[in-house]
Amino acid sequence: MNKIFSVLVRTLATKGRLIALGLLGAGAIALGFAVRFSSEPDKANATWNLVDAYGLSLLVPVVALVFATASLGDPAEDGTLVYLWLRPIARWRLALAAFAAGLAVSVPLAVLPIIVAAAIAGGGGKLVAAAAVGTLLAAVAYSAVFCGLGLRMRRALAWGLAYLLIWEQAVARVSHGAARASVFVNTRSLAAYIANQAPPRNAVAPITGLVVPVAFSVAAVALTTRSLDRGEVA
Amino acid sequence: MTADGAGGATIEVRNVGKWFGQVVALSDVTFDVGPGVTALLGPNGAGKSTLFRILCGLAHPSQGSVRMFGENPQGNAALTRRIGIAPQQEGLFENQTGKEFVGLAATLYGLDDPDAAACRAIELVELDPDDPRPLGAYSKGMRQRIKLAQALVHSPDVVVLDEPLEGLDPRQRLRSIELFRQLGEEGRTVIISSHVLDEVERFGSRILVITQGRLVAEGPFGAIRDLMDDRPRILRVGTDRPREVAAGLLRNGAVLGAHVGDGIVRVETDQPALFRRTVASVARDADARLLEVVALDEDLESVFAYLVGRR
Repeated sequence: MNKIFSVLVRTLATKGRLIALGLLGAGAIALGFAVRFSSEPDKANATWNLVDAYGLSLLVPVVALVFATASLGDPAEDGTLVYLWLRPIARWRLALAAFAAGLAVSVPLAVLPIIVAAAIAGGGGKLVAAAAVGTLLAAVAYSAVFCGLGLRMRRALAWGLAYLLIWEQAVARVSHGAARASVFVNTRSLAAYIANQAPPRNAVAPITGLVVPVAFSVAAVALTTRSLDRGEVA
Repeated sequence: MTADGAGGATIEVRNVGKWFGQVVALSDVTFDVGPGVTALLGPNGAGKSTLFRILCGLAHPSQGSVRMFGENPQGNAALTRRIGIAPQQEGLFENQTGKEFVGLAATLYGLDDPDAAACRAIELVELDPDDPRPLGAYSKGMRQRIKLAQALVHSPDVVVLDEPLEGLDPRQRLRSIELFRQLGEEGRTVIISSHVLDEVERFGSRILVITQGRLVAEGPFGAIRDLMDDRPRILRVGTDRPREVAAGLLRNGAVLGAHVGDGIVRVETDQPALFRRTVASVARDADARLLEVVALDEDLESVFAYLVGRR
């Protein structure tokens, strides 16, 4: 599985993607400095806004979308998936390696910058812990979901973006029922709890905020495995 | 390297059809393939790659069934140990070296010494295992050969090669054809696609002809070649006495019709063998110089169209 993982990481981490999304991550650190040197008296609240509005709403989902859809989507599109698929290895290993590859690139480009930004902003240790747990959990769940999307759908980036904008950022914000099935609302609720911030709208219980993204991740990897098992390979 | 299927066949294809929406890629294809080299001949877009993908379990047939060693290849990870495929598509892991690429295959096949196996396979296709360049820097011919190396690294019983000679220079073609023959002689089932008839002649003792998604002919190369040679033809005969040559050809019944032009006769014949035998004597009898005899419908498309028509 290590070999597949390293092949997929090298394939999906193109220079263009790393530069573009690295700049987005650098933006988080710049925002951290802006908060630190601002005249804002409530640094904790300003830091939470950075983690919530920039990290959980934008940086983590977008970075995970780009890399996770590419982890199996790129090989499926250019025909190289056959060199991994037509081998006597369990499909779940391939699905897990692809998920891990997407996550391994997303963490340094999205999760770490938010943690560093939270530390720079000066909101305190709880905010740093909230940033770490919330963004890492979100990166795991989005990577798992988008990995399968990249395998199953053409134009997975566009579909993923639509999912983020319509479901995660619109429907889940206004509908309590939908919020329970939203990676964003669950991870945001857990992060707010850890950061000792007021629960956001449609917040779920902290344990739910932990369990649901993990369950999403497991289910998504299982579905990707099933697709590899039953689907057609380019 | 044994044929485990019924009647000595390694691969059994029965009434296989494949369609994508309204587009029919394969229609009612039935054949058996046993050990040795079999060539799958057909024009581009005939359905060869789709058929190969189904044979290897990379795609489901919409109807019919495929058995390899008596098993369904679809979703059969264990069977992949016995298959080596070199697909037609160009995509490779561009950042890897040749040795990494073939070594990855060797590792995933669970070979004891993947590095050594990779080196052997790369040398077999006359590439350098220590070439430090990434695959992205390889020429088309080198990419073809490295695909072949990864297909052979685990000594598979079935070797499926989709247009493996494309992009190779004449010497590499010759070497590859020798290699395919050798694999067949070792008792492996080697199935190779091509759209070039003369290429197929050199490696295919048995030929399957596929066009427009249908299997239109199968058999030994000689029989297929005769079939193709005996089809009705349109030819141009260059001569200094076209009227006399046209009259002579019509008289002896070698042609169905003749159209005389400036220094040429355009003839249509349903007896190409008779035409070939008599055209020179007809010219001699007419005291004419025979300057050229050119087939105007020699392209493979017209050959395939004829084969489709006679089914």
